[in-house]
Amino acid sequence: MSEHRLKKSLGRAFGAAPSPARRAARWLDRNLGGSSILREELRHIFPDSWAFFLGEIALYCFIVLVVTGIFLALFFHASQAIVVYHGSYHPLAGVPMSDAYSSVLDLSWNVRAGLLIRQVHHWAALVFVAALIIHLMRMFFTGAYRRPRRINWLIGLSLLLLVGFNGLMGYSLPDDLLSGTGLRIAFSITESIPFIGPTMASVLFGGEFPTTGIIARIYPVHIFLLPAAIAGLLGAHLGLLWLQRHTEFPGPGRDDRTMVGSPMVPQYALRTTGYFLLLAGVLTAFGALLQINPVWLYGPFRATDATTSAQPDWYMGWLEGAVRMFPGWDIQIGGFLLPAIFWPAVVLPGLIFTPLFLWPWLDWLAMRDNRFVNVLQFPSQRPGRMAVGAGFFTFLTVLLVGGGDDVFAKAFGWSLPVLLRTLQVLVIVLPPLVAALTYAIARRRSVRWLVS
Amino acid sequence: MSADPRQTGGPAGPAGRGPRGPGWIPTWPATVGLLITLAGAIGFAVSFVRDASTQWLGGFLAAALLGIGLALAYWGRDLAGDEVISGPYPVPHEDAESRAALGDALDQSVQVITRRHFLTKMLVFAGGVFALSQVVLLGALGPRPKNSLRTTSWRAGSRIVTFDGAPVTRDTLAAGTFLVAFPEGHTDSADSQITLLRIGGDPQFKTLAGRESWSPEGYVAYSRVCTHAGCPVAQYEDQAKVLVCPCHQSTFDLMNGAQPVAGPAGRPLPQLPLAIDAQGNLTAQSDFTLPIGPGFWNEG
Repeated sequence: MSEHRLKKSLGRAFGAAPSPARRAARWLDRNLGGSSILREELRHIFPDSWAFFLGEIALYCFIVLVVTGIFLALFFHASQAIVVYHGSYHPLAGVPMSDAYSSVLDLSWNVRAGLLIRQVHHWAALVFVAALIIHLMRMFFTGAYRRPRRINWLIGLSLLLLVGFNGLMGYSLPDDLLSGTGLRIAFSITESIPFIGPTMASVLFGGEFPTTGIIARIYPVHIFLLPAAIAGLLGAHLGLLWLQRHTEFPGPGRDDRTMVGSPMVPQYALRTTGYFLLLAGVLTAFGALLQINPVWLYGPFRATDATTSAQPDWYMGWLEGAVRMFPGWDIQIGGFLLPAIFWPAVVLPGLIFTPLFLWPWLDWLAMRDNRFVNVLQFPSQRPGRMAVGAGFFTFLTVLLVGGGDDVFAKAFGWSLPVLLRTLQVLVIVLPPLVAALTYAIARRRSVRWLVS
Repeated sequence: MSADPRQTGGPAGPAGRGPRGPGWIPTWPATVGLLITLAGAIGFAVSFVRDASTQWLGGFLAAALLGIGLALAYWGRDLAGDEVISGPYPVPHEDAESRAALGDALDQSVQVITRRHFLTKMLVFAGGVFALSQVVLLGALGPRPKNSLRTTSWRAGSRIVTFDGAPVTRDTLAAGTFLVAFPEGHTDSADSQITLLRIGGDPQFKTLAGRESWSPEGYVAYSRVCTHAGCPVAQYEDQAKVLVCPCHQSTFDLMNGAQPVAGPAGRPLPQLPLAIDAQGNLTAQSDFTLPIGPGFWNEG
């Protein structure tokens, strides 16, 4: 008798056995209650669009980062005590270095799967920020930030700031030459702030750079403080999304009061679990095949060493570009000095993020539109917004290119001073130009859109 | 508030079952995906045990994840049937009555506190002072900078040594060459590093007013900490006689007081006044006369 038949006949004899899912639900209901809520939420609607996957990529990167990060934390030593290296990477044999750097070398060369996990962790961080930014652009250009999702826009932006900052903390930890150079620049930027700068830098770093306790100080921030804040904000972000439901693109049967999409169980749950595993697979393939941050090539940090073609991780590139491109306008005021780096490194990020945070309310003021909306707009439906966004991201892109000006100059055989001057002109001229062009094109499209 | 999405059901039965008819969806892609996962999982474990390279290890792990991911995504997209349902969005209630009731309740509870005018003010005041008092904890994190940003380890008479501690004498450098140097006993001092070069009798070299005695026998020393963001100004360009910072490409003219000539730096590299003692060793006349490195607020 086959197993199938056996089950069937047993079922007839003793009454149909409940499925495991049924039993689990019954157990939950007995112990927690709320089966009616669960019954409703099983049919929670998720509108379908590739564009809604962007936020999920970010979320899944976070999960990959936590899992790989726990593995790395088991091997990393947050100590700048000097040790002499005797590990498997022979070119550095006998070199005095910090315990932190030495532990990263051991992790990469002597711990099985260590290098793989480290590279997956780094790739996940790079993709995380990219997904957040593209997600943000999608929200911006489709008007998803309008009432009732203004608060969630703020939470999302805060997440972007925290994630970017935690990435910076993360690549500062290995205490290699590149990461130490980044910390050196961070100290200099802090010093430049009027009135409080020097004291603030000393308080943050525990003295004048280079200090021997900075890695131990960054470590709990990177693995506990910021991840906890990110997890909390992610929870709030998803909680609001759950309560308010997802937005949807215009389509038949859809309006601000009615949503159309897949039910959470089984279609959406199957799909999104599949996408999570696919993303984890892609990140693992990156970690396996594409080298990232080979710290052993940079050598240990020493305050008297510097490396050419020093670049931060890509999401800090706009800031690096701004710092390179801003002219050396140091200002003496009485007995005080306002260093030029204050403008691109402190003021500019404020100028970029403040309007972003205020955007939903600026939009409300400009459009005098406070309706409760759930249906998204197509980008060209709002030529003005599209122009502002295109100009804004053009500005950031030119800065990003500026962050690698020495690499581009070398690769293409250009003169660096000429390239720098060109970029300084482009960063001012190009954004309004792109904005105007975008406006003209979107305007024509939106007219056509209205006619048809 | 509670949306009931089960108003309009989509097509009921999942596709992919039954005999091959119109709309039949093959299950083999999911099967292949799960087979890849099986192979990948085994490959991963074997390559871990055999201590294989990162590429094998990660390749198998990636294959395992991609296989099952593919299977589930296909299952959810194609096999489960594209059941489309619709339902209402939650809409905020404009319930004036309960809002007013909430307002009344709040007013009442708040009044319990606010009717004690003096106590309320004291509460705010004491709470504020308490919060402010906690700022002193920041003092535990680092010392106040005082003079440390203005001074280095150079003193009058400090002998100049190389990275390994060897003293620099009047014969160490030939004209047109340079080296990195430190004050004796402070070869680990980040803010004291200098670029020491011998310009010899180069006619291009401009001695700045007030610095006539700073460059004996053609030796000149500049701080090696960039005045822009603090990186070591480590690149020397022989043709142009400039120092270039590798971080942001600030460029300093060695023939003219290390003035910035390109890039984002705004101030020259401070010059160290040099002397040569009776034994022929190079020494410093004093510490730098200007703060070295990147600018800070009370530097001026």
